[in-house]
Amino acid sequence: MEITTIKEKVSNVLTTILEHSNFEMSDELTAKDVDGWDSLSHMMIITKIEEEFGIRFKLRELNKLKNMGALVSLIQSKS
Amino acid sequence: MNLVFDIQKSIEKHYDRNAFCIGQEYHTYKEFAQIISNIRKTVRSKTEENEIAIGLVTNDDIQTYASIIALWLEGKAYVPLNSEFPLSRNQMVIGQADIRTILDSSNEKIFSEYQTITTKELNTFPVDLTPLRVSEENLAYIFFTSGTTGTPKGVPITFSNLSGFVDAFWALDYPITEEDRCLQMFELTFDLSVMSYLAPILKGACVYTIPKEEIKYSYIFELMEDYELTFSLMVPSILHYLRPYFEEINCPALKYSLFCGEALPLDVTEEWSTCVPNATIANVYGPTECTIFCTDYTYVKNAENKTHNGVLTIGRDMKNTSTIIVDKDNNEVAVGESGELCLSGAQLTPGYWKNKTKNKEAFFYKNYQGKNTRFYRTGDLCNIDAEGDILYLGRVDFQAKIQGFRVELSEIEYHAKAALDKVNAVAVAFTNTIHNTEIGLVIESEVTDTKELLEYIKTKLPSYMIPSQIKHVQSFPLNTNGKIDRKKLKEMFS
Repeated sequence: MEITTIKEKVSNVLTTILEHSNFEMSDELTAKDVDGWDSLSHMMIITKIEEEFGIRFKLRELNKLKNMGALVSLIQSKS
Repeated sequence: MNLVFDIQKSIEKHYDRNAFCIGQEYHTYKEFAQIISNIRKTVRSKTEENEIAIGLVTNDDIQTYASIIALWLEGKAYVPLNSEFPLSRNQMVIGQADIRTILDSSNEKIFSEYQTITTKELNTFPVDLTPLRVSEENLAYIFFTSGTTGTPKGVPITFSNLSGFVDAFWALDYPITEEDRCLQMFELTFDLSVMSYLAPILKGACVYTIPKEEIKYSYIFELMEDYELTFSLMVPSILHYLRPYFEEINCPALKYSLFCGEALPLDVTEEWSTCVPNATIANVYGPTECTIFCTDYTYVKNAENKTHNGVLTIGRDMKNTSTIIVDKDNNEVAVGESGELCLSGAQLTPGYWKNKTKNKEAFFYKNYQGKNTRFYRTGDLCNIDAEGDILYLGRVDFQAKIQGFRVELSEIEYHAKAALDKVNAVAVAFTNTIHNTEIGLVIESEVTDTKELLEYIKTKLPSYMIPSQIKHVQSFPLNTNGKIDRKKLKEMFS
């Protein structure tokens, strides 16, 4: 899948779960930079991404997700 | 004062061993002793003898933990201040506890308007861990919990309370030795953190903490596997997060897996027990007022466990606590009948900090086994069976537990109403799809933009108290007593 398509889909997931779109989809974006992205919403975001892309993350992979760039390339490697 | 002397002895005995693993960096007890000594000397020179409580910025580093021990050696109490909490809330705490000095390990001072001792760059002093001789009735810490009227209430805990807890904890026989690797997953404003650092320090074991920027549940799992943790105390909400990944988890090194702070469902516990095949699993219970926890139940594998609505029993009172269940006139109810759980004993706080009204409501004297005894009303609805096991049935008031933190729903409503200008609002706690508790807010109005409201609440309340969902209704449904039907409002969320 194209990187841009993945980014767009992830951005939609964030907007749906967090109920706002006050973020820039840069590779350096981290949960800290986004309002309302805490442990709880993180769980919901991850679950929604798994649904959207029809993939499944391993717990260990989740720890390596330091920023948006890492998330997008992980999704790309799995889909 | 035996407890603080025991801390001294243990640190001195285990100089060569690791005390902490923080962000993958180890610190030995020797290093810990040096930092403690530097901080205590500075505290002694910069604070007055009559300063009872000292503020502590709750960072995740060796200086912050050393600050706690340093204050105890000096016979002083710490009051944890989370820099991520709204400034107005922290100022309220600082004011209430008469804090004049704050210990801070941050690179830049968090509270610039108070005398701050920056603990990162202190002069080196000779190591001296000998505690001052002070009364057992001196305070070890004051923790502030959610209050009903928008003001947090302080729970002071004495060294005598804390000694009572430590004594009762060892009596449970979930032993820790210098070989153990123990999890400390709690923010230092939460009293379960005290058990999580103190018990390992008393035995020369190593404490593993969670860096603030990490997603807690997945980091805990990595620590458990990669560092082969042997002892953990967690809130059950971590299990709900980890549950979808249980198949990937295998931690044979874990010997004890304790849970506290929220209801522990039996089914999740059973599944968890296969992830930690060699661990004894226990459900412990207790409010901050009764020092960390005070009842205990050991889960039995492949056998019957007592439950109510699928929630595990909280077991029996520990060695230094007495429990009774009373009706609204403070009379003990018969075996099996439900009532409010009340606690007394060595772990019980002397009373809320400077809050006579609350103390009158929450504490009462009663003749118990021939003695006039002071009891604390927990607000928890329980019953005790014939064997003495306590079953948790629910709350008698409007408190909720969010990730183990106690939340007064009325405190959220108080701030929401202040922002809404005469529009009514009700906060409810509901269970989400992964069985964790979330806060919903229902506003009695047309659908409006809630951005400003949320912005306002965020300046008043810590993040775990911010509603995660907001709904609007034209008018609140009423129940048969003519009161707002909170149950119906709760059903709006899922």
